[in-house]
Amino acid sequence: MSTREVFTDRLQAGVLLLPTMVVSMVFLYYPTVRAVGLSFYRASLARGDVFVGLENYRRLAGSSEYLRSVLISVLFAACVVVGVMAVALCISFLIHEINVGKGVYLVAVIWPYALPPAVAGLVFLFIAHPNIGIFTSYIEALGVDVNWFSNGPQAFVVVLIAAVWKQVGYNVIFMTAALGNVPESLTETAELDGVSRTQRLLRVYVPIISPTLVFLVIMNTIYGFFRTFPMVDLMTKGGPAGATNILIYDLYRTAFQFYEFGFASAKSVVLFIAVGLLMYGQFRLSDKYAYYGG
Amino acid sequence: MLGSLLTALTAAVERSQSAGRTTSERIRRFETEQLTLHVLAATVVFLIVLPVLIAALVSTKRAGIVTSIGDLVPGGHALSNYRRALIGLEFWRFMLNSFVMSVAVVVGKLIVSLLAALVIVYYRFPYKNAVFLFILFTLLLPVPVRFVPLYRLTTELGMNNTFFAITVPYLASATTVFILRQHFLSIPASLVETAKVDGVGPLRFLWSVLIPMSRAVLVGVSVIMFVYTWNQYLWPLVIINAESLQVAQVGLNLLRGQASTGEVAWSMVMTGSILTLLPPLALLVLFRRQLLETFTIQQK
Repeated sequence: MSTREVFTDRLQAGVLLLPTMVVSMVFLYYPTVRAVGLSFYRASLARGDVFVGLENYRRLAGSSEYLRSVLISVLFAACVVVGVMAVALCISFLIHEINVGKGVYLVAVIWPYALPPAVAGLVFLFIAHPNIGIFTSYIEALGVDVNWFSNGPQAFVVVLIAAVWKQVGYNVIFMTAALGNVPESLTETAELDGVSRTQRLLRVYVPIISPTLVFLVIMNTIYGFFRTFPMVDLMTKGGPAGATNILIYDLYRTAFQFYEFGFASAKSVVLFIAVGLLMYGQFRLSDKYAYYGG
Repeated sequence: MLGSLLTALTAAVERSQSAGRTTSERIRRFETEQLTLHVLAATVVFLIVLPVLIAALVSTKRAGIVTSIGDLVPGGHALSNYRRALIGLEFWRFMLNSFVMSVAVVVGKLIVSLLAALVIVYYRFPYKNAVFLFILFTLLLPVPVRFVPLYRLTTELGMNNTFFAITVPYLASATTVFILRQHFLSIPASLVETAKVDGVGPLRFLWSVLIPMSRAVLVGVSVIMFVYTWNQYLWPLVIINAESLQVAQVGLNLLRGQASTGEVAWSMVMTGSILTLLPPLALLVLFRRQLLETFTIQQK
């Protein structure tokens, strides 16, 4: 029991907690429970809801289109995580090793944290445009036919680059902070032992900052799954032929283009389980790596 | 690409390391090494800024078509473009809506979360851990997981196309409560004990002790909340149909639609993009110190 707990009036405590509890209950918990309930119905805005049991889930399990969306989401999130973290680690290490002007470089690199995903999507749509993009003619001169409005893999890569660009800054914030906490003595010992720079990063720093890296893997996965929605919506609309149809976009279309709210609710439940597993994974992993945290 | 650059750099440095022995040589080696690092860092910054730099340049041109690097010179239409986007195409309305939404959510969340964190750190009451878990568990319920049933709920409440719909559902925040709790736990317990002895009530304590002692963190979480709210896209997209209430993120797409009927489509879209980027960017640059400090708390 903490000595900070000096106030004991339960009524007061209840009143002060009320706003958070009410908003959480009404707008967070209730809709989630509702999604579970609704997932057993065929529900649309026009007609009433009809109980259909597990039909929505059966439909999901049997839908090759949905399975493809799952695979694309996982692949996309994996590419986002690896791409973002590899680039961010190099940049953070670079800033860490610089002697003067660190603060300026840091701000100049982390600002895309504030960049709206919708703006990232539109700017990339413009600069990578197959017809009028500024780099298109140069890339085509290299022998690549830029046609990502009709070429699935190309569209996937273009959205991925935009997504990585927007997310690197956020990672650098946490990585430079973690690198800054590495004891100076360790760096000196490594240098005296003649450990090369790359070795120092990979063998000394990465294990020490691994709790931060685990945290970032989870944040980046959630970003790759959900926060990239505006980019997909503005750049590809999930296309061409479903090549960028990540789960959140698929869910959006089910609900707001086809108005199948029951089916969409079943998809929401699947997403909820995915987020739950991710968070649980982070919890277990950070427990395991807590030793390094010190 | 960056990785191989770093490897090449390291190899070069190692070669020079085995060569140099005297102090002056060592200093010179250190200087060349730092110079290389600065060149690399400047290149990285350039690459990260480049897309937005292009957008900014395009927003000053009339037609807004740049198909080669030679086209990357500022045009003379900055003023007329921004005026046309803001006034002619009424982008000011979307900006204002975003601004009102973000400020309302930041202020609301701050008050609600301060009260919750106060209770969680300074009150003794039964099932306290359960209450804290109840708040933390909402981390599992981001907007994408529940926007479909939330849409049904909001529709049933008759709150579609209202300011209520894009503010109130955002007011509970596990992240903010958590950051404030961590920060309060770092403030010496003796302060609240003294306050209690002096007969200072909890709200007085919050107002005249906790808040003044938490300025940096409060600024930091406010910036985090503002950026988060300002950048919301999915929820306003589905719940707001009335153009007069729409926010900047979604308004950008409307701008694209309206402008594409004319010949200056892309310069309008880039003008809108720069406008939409400016408020959160300005906050990040102005309050970077507090923001970085707050992030280190969040991760714990």
